[in-house]
Amino acid sequence: MSRIWIIAQHEYQTSIRRVGFIIMTLIIPLLGLVALLVSAFYGGQATEFLKGQFGMEPQAVGVVDESGSYFTPIMDRYENQYQLFADEPAARAALLADEVTTLLIVREDYLGTGQVTVINKGSGFGAAVIEDSRSARSFFVDHLLRGEVDPALRERAAHPFAIESLTIDASGEIQGGGSLSMITTFVIPYFTGFLLIMTIFVSSGYLLQSVSEEKETRVIEVVLSSVTAQELLTGKVIGLGALGLTQILIWLLSAWGLSSGATTLMALNIPLMDRPEVLILAVVYYLLGYTLYAVLMAASGALGTTMRESQQIAGIFSMLAAAPYMVSSFLFSNPNAVLARVLSFFPLTGATMMMLRLPMAEVPTVDIIVSIIGLLLSIPVVLWAGAKVFRMGLLMYGKRASLPQVIQSLREA
Amino acid sequence: MARSVVEVRNLLKRYNGFTAVDGLSFDVYEGNVFGLLGPNGAGKTSTIRIIMDIFKADSGEVRILSEPPGAARERIGYLPEERGLYRNLKVEAVLVYLARLKGMAGDMARRRAAELLERVDLTQWAGRKVKDLSRGMQQKLQFAASLVHDPALIVMDEPFQGLDPVNIELIKNMIEELREQGKTIVLSTHQLNMVEALCDRIVLINRGRSVLYGELEEIKHHYAPRTVRVRTATALESVSDIAPVERHGADLVFTLATGSTPQQLLRVLVERDVLVDAFEVASVPLEEIFIAVVKEDSSE
Repeated sequence: MSRIWIIAQHEYQTSIRRVGFIIMTLIIPLLGLVALLVSAFYGGQATEFLKGQFGMEPQAVGVVDESGSYFTPIMDRYENQYQLFADEPAARAALLADEVTTLLIVREDYLGTGQVTVINKGSGFGAAVIEDSRSARSFFVDHLLRGEVDPALRERAAHPFAIESLTIDASGEIQGGGSLSMITTFVIPYFTGFLLIMTIFVSSGYLLQSVSEEKETRVIEVVLSSVTAQELLTGKVIGLGALGLTQILIWLLSAWGLSSGATTLMALNIPLMDRPEVLILAVVYYLLGYTLYAVLMAASGALGTTMRESQQIAGIFSMLAAAPYMVSSFLFSNPNAVLARVLSFFPLTGATMMMLRLPMAEVPTVDIIVSIIGLLLSIPVVLWAGAKVFRMGLLMYGKRASLPQVIQSLREA
Repeated sequence: MARSVVEVRNLLKRYNGFTAVDGLSFDVYEGNVFGLLGPNGAGKTSTIRIIMDIFKADSGEVRILSEPPGAARERIGYLPEERGLYRNLKVEAVLVYLARLKGMAGDMARRRAAELLERVDLTQWAGRKVKDLSRGMQQKLQFAASLVHDPALIVMDEPFQGLDPVNIELIKNMIEELREQGKTIVLSTHQLNMVEALCDRIVLINRGRSVLYGELEEIKHHYAPRTVRVRTATALESVSDIAPVERHGADLVFTLATGSTPQQLLRVLVERDVLVDAFEVASVPLEEIFIAVVKEDSSE
């Protein structure tokens, strides 16, 4: 077995047992589980879930109709959400007994003033919730227009729109539709890209740690008597890159487990059928971006005298790589703006910028070609320079290499 | 003459204008223990790192086992001065990994690791993490790591550093065993008593240059004070014509003339029926030679 593979195997086996790696790998599925519960809650499923788990009954909003006509009786479609009370004392008693969560008291002069009193137990947060609730608005509109206008018009006034989202590509062709389209063409590729970018940072962070530790513990000189600096660097990049891919695989498998396979199938199959180039290019940019940052992190690890110092040096490169995220809110509306294109062409920001842009819009082919060529050309340069700095920095114990020393090492044959 | 295992010719290494190694040349012969000596900052570690292909020389030629540096990595063992091991790995795993980096197959590496751990009394620690070992134990483990792939040439920089007398004796015996097995050893140490006990040949470096080089015995002979200490009850007058002589207590100290040898003196004493109780050719410790040569060179 070649020495590069032995190093890669060693790095992989050592790092996969690190506590930091295990926590980082488990935290994403745990967050997924939390997100699943939250989305279930807002989708109304949590109520059923909690009811099933704890035998709880759903709670309604109490209504006292002092106007005497508009909300009496409550329409059938709202019976599960709203409960009518004869007067305020009875409603308050129900609120205190936790039979309802909130009280809506429609005042006598409601038609003239629109005045509604909201009473909650403990905090006034419920009033804000009612004010912003589309469901509460529909409840009021539906009841106010009952019997006054055509039922179809009343229905439309209560629920004025049902959005269908479509996108148009450069050729003028309409694609997708509805929230599923949004999920498959934007959300999933965006978060897949986000996870890949995060993995680049995590894996290259392990590389920084590995190099820094070998230098700090002085084991590096023994290793360098057995292998060249280039072999050591290459072995570490491969081993820790494989570690990053393992992490992604675990995340995907956990997503499969959490959603009984549906989310994973959607994440992999639908984008592949819909916009296969997004996922394929995401993997290409992952590999190129990881290689570039891994070498930079290894060189940073070699230059610092301690782990902390190495992290400070590496922070310069991390800031550059994270720059596209700093402008991501601007990118949502302008994914092909000049700034986005410039950052795509610059190799140190190219991989992360393209991973962000690709799911958002049809990125011009020239941008993809130029950014990939930029990365492909810069990787050998960074590998060459990184290996030299790596070799020079590794054997400088107790003092950090100065800039002239770094330049000198690049000049040496 | 034995084959030259390490050939160094006109080696030059500079760092930012400072000349660390300045035209250094020497040979290390097969089966020898070779002492690479010098004061701190003399250029020993730079020379060793060039031999190990960790540094590149600015000029000069180096051949290791008849090949350029780096080409014979798998046949060289190295115990560096700046040493350390993977603190969170198990003792046996460290040896196996380093052996595999040197091209040894996994099974063979494990077998060899077990043999060496037994030899340095660390068998019971094989399954423990390196960080659990004492400093002396880590030193022995590092020594074992330099031998784990059964190299033909071993370069040792301060192998006795941090060891107690018992473990110094253990390492010394292991070095002697290696020599008996025909291995070649380059030994760099400030413990000159060990150099005297182990080395066949030495080079003394000062300011990057060779200031003393050759067979250790010849060097010691060259620097010996040319005096012979004789213990005898015979009267001084009967031998006073052989060489200038002084009485130092119970001993006579003869100062040999140029061209005279201790053997000639002993022959004359026997011919004259001088009763010799003790006959000792005076020698000078390597440490004194080291100090004298370095001081002289530094004052130039």
